[in-house]
Amino acid sequence: MSCHGAEGAQEVTLDRRTGTPVVALVGNPNVGKSTLFNALTGAHQHVGNWPGKTVSVAQGEWRTPGGHRLRVADLPGSYSLLPDSPDEALVRDVLTARPGERPDAVVFALDAANPARNLYLLSQVLDTDIPVVVALTMTDVAARRGTAPAPGALARELALPVVAVEGRSGTGLDRLADAVAEVLEASASPSRSAWAAGSPVAAELAALAGPAREAAAQTAQPARWLAVSLLCGEEPPGVPAALAGRARAAADRLAAAAASGSASASQEVDTDAELLVAEARYAWAHAVIERAAPRPVQSRPTLTDRVDRLLLSRTFGIPFFLAVMWGVFQATTVLAKPLQDGLGDFVSGPVSGGAERLLEAVRAPGWLTGLLVDGLINGVGQLLTFVPLMIIMFLLLALLEDSGYFARAAFVADRLMRTLRLPGRAFLPLVVGFGCNVPALAGTRILNRRSHRLLVGLLIPYMSCTARLAVYVMIAGVFFGSNSGTVVFFLYVASVLLVVGMGLILRPLLFRDMKEEPLVLELPPYRLPTLRVTGAQVRQRLSAFLRTAGGIIVATAAAVWLLMAIPSGTGLGGFGKVDVEQSVFGTVTRAAAPVVAPAGFGDWHATAALGTGLIAKEGVISTLAQTYSAEEDGDPKLTASLHGTFEESSGGHGRAAALAFLVFILAYTPCMATLAAQRAEIGTRLTVIGFGIQLAAAWLLAVGVFQIARLVW
Amino acid sequence: MPSLNDSRPGTTVRITGIDPGQAGGSRRRLLEFGFVPGAAVTVIARGATGGLLVGLGDTRVALDSRTAGRLRCGR
Repeated sequence: MSCHGAEGAQEVTLDRRTGTPVVALVGNPNVGKSTLFNALTGAHQHVGNWPGKTVSVAQGEWRTPGGHRLRVADLPGSYSLLPDSPDEALVRDVLTARPGERPDAVVFALDAANPARNLYLLSQVLDTDIPVVVALTMTDVAARRGTAPAPGALARELALPVVAVEGRSGTGLDRLADAVAEVLEASASPSRSAWAAGSPVAAELAALAGPAREAAAQTAQPARWLAVSLLCGEEPPGVPAALAGRARAAADRLAAAAASGSASASQEVDTDAELLVAEARYAWAHAVIERAAPRPVQSRPTLTDRVDRLLLSRTFGIPFFLAVMWGVFQATTVLAKPLQDGLGDFVSGPVSGGAERLLEAVRAPGWLTGLLVDGLINGVGQLLTFVPLMIIMFLLLALLEDSGYFARAAFVADRLMRTLRLPGRAFLPLVVGFGCNVPALAGTRILNRRSHRLLVGLLIPYMSCTARLAVYVMIAGVFFGSNSGTVVFFLYVASVLLVVGMGLILRPLLFRDMKEEPLVLELPPYRLPTLRVTGAQVRQRLSAFLRTAGGIIVATAAAVWLLMAIPSGTGLGGFGKVDVEQSVFGTVTRAAAPVVAPAGFGDWHATAALGTGLIAKEGVISTLAQTYSAEEDGDPKLTASLHGTFEESSGGHGRAAALAFLVFILAYTPCMATLAAQRAEIGTRLTVIGFGIQLAAAWLLAVGVFQIARLVW
Repeated sequence: MPSLNDSRPGTTVRITGIDPGQAGGSRRRLLEFGFVPGAAVTVIARGATGGLLVGLGDTRVALDSRTAGRLRCGR
């Protein structure tokens, strides 16, 4: 599937209807760019294009103290304009778009504590000839190390405006606004791109400048950027063949000259134009730092390094990692459970009861009461029970990310996830999936690549959540007695195997271009998370979840109520008064019974339970109880009825059928809320495909388990 | 020529080049992170499941062992 190809073609439209100047916020990941964005735009922002559709970009309005109104786009953090991910491709596409669609200015967030690699990206941004203002971030960290570059000296070296800012306190934002206003007013800024000076690349670039300018008139890309990217082996679309040929020849000359210059030393390594360009950019960066910073940066062990030697060591690395994951799991299950139940009880109890009495008082017709109370209020209640779970999940994510441990966890899990060609960070949403699939799906946003998000989004439903556990415990208790613990354990093992197996099947089928990726991961220093940043992240993610999945969860609950309320024929009772068995829902699940007969549980009671289980697994047991008119689980009548049904439908292999039923519960769609969350994260098409695969897998596995197990039992 | 993988934690080496090895984006990404010829790299720790944690100036970068093996270095 060409997920990546489709992304390359997407267009980013910066809102220009108002004629407001557009400022793009550019910088490496983890440099305080988003903190700066929040400080600049305050409440005037919106996040568009959620992952699963396209790359997400936050835009906002910046009202400067000088009375200017600017539109700010917070572009994804990236390391390079030669993209390695869709996020980075987006940054490149925005900065090298047609002249009228380019941002009017770039605010470049430069991490004072990590200047060299930041200057590398800056040198690329300068190649696009968009006016740049440098916002110097993390100056406090750099100052503690004694390596903070002075803004004045840096401005002199770069020939650019440089303003030290502190997003969290708002320091420097006024001066940043002035500097941006100034570059916007200056009509044409002279090119500041100086990195090539003194390098062998300079002469070849100069020779390419003329033809590149001519080509740029057609391709509408910045001329200098065009020349450099051609030299690095890129093939931007629409470049005349003559220019591409000249660039290739220039690159060959550079490589040959470099090879002859150091014939002995670099026989084993390949020197090419790309390497020379990178070398030249870094040489420039180091020269700038040397002149602008009080003392040169040196790798000396920091506190973070000492902690890492312990937390990443062979002795403590894995136990600590597992302990953290266990903590995440506990928090999203044990801690969230009472909150969830409390909210659920509150809605189904006082709220529903109150609404019912109120409707009764105004003599509302029965169907309206049913729709409002059993449909809508019940649906909103279901949605609400997810809220504490989501808050806990997003809080943990934010804490792990802000503290810096998350990158370490990704490093530790890298080896493990490599089997599925997924990055180590994919481990976390999968672990959360053991608790509940819905927050786990929202958690896939921590993955940088779309194809990784899509694959993990398809795998999460196979993680056995706690709602399924309740069904396992009940059914296994009825059929396996003292061995039920072993059966439940087997189901969890099966869940992990299913995730791995499905990953191995789906990846080559749907994501053929997903390569095993090398790990080159920046580990940020450990930090104490701040309440403000963490809180803002939780709020943003929660509101996104409610917006994208909330409506669907409520709507499906109402739709299912409707199916149960509509009688499947005449004379069965009016709308909203029919027995479940004789509703449209009952008729459909009855018709489905023969389909699962090869799995040994081709019986109406079982398929009706699976039908409500599709809405939420909590419904399985109550439906079984309802259809046998038993009280609830633990009722001796229910146990006896279940035994009878399964023995009959399986031809005397009740336990084999029960195990197959449990495997079906494990593998098929966990709940409607999961489907809604999936749709929000991976799109409608893949959600539908995934749904089909889940049903098919559940059926195949259940049939397989029954046919094998009945030989034994 | 020794690779970064052969270096013990605590030592600082200079990058001499990147093994062409397999094709793909990793060579470019390594260059972009600053693993260019002449760069001083300090090995800080070995990962619990393999791989290296290295320091490049004030940046800390985690590498899987295969990638670390592609980085040629000398003193």
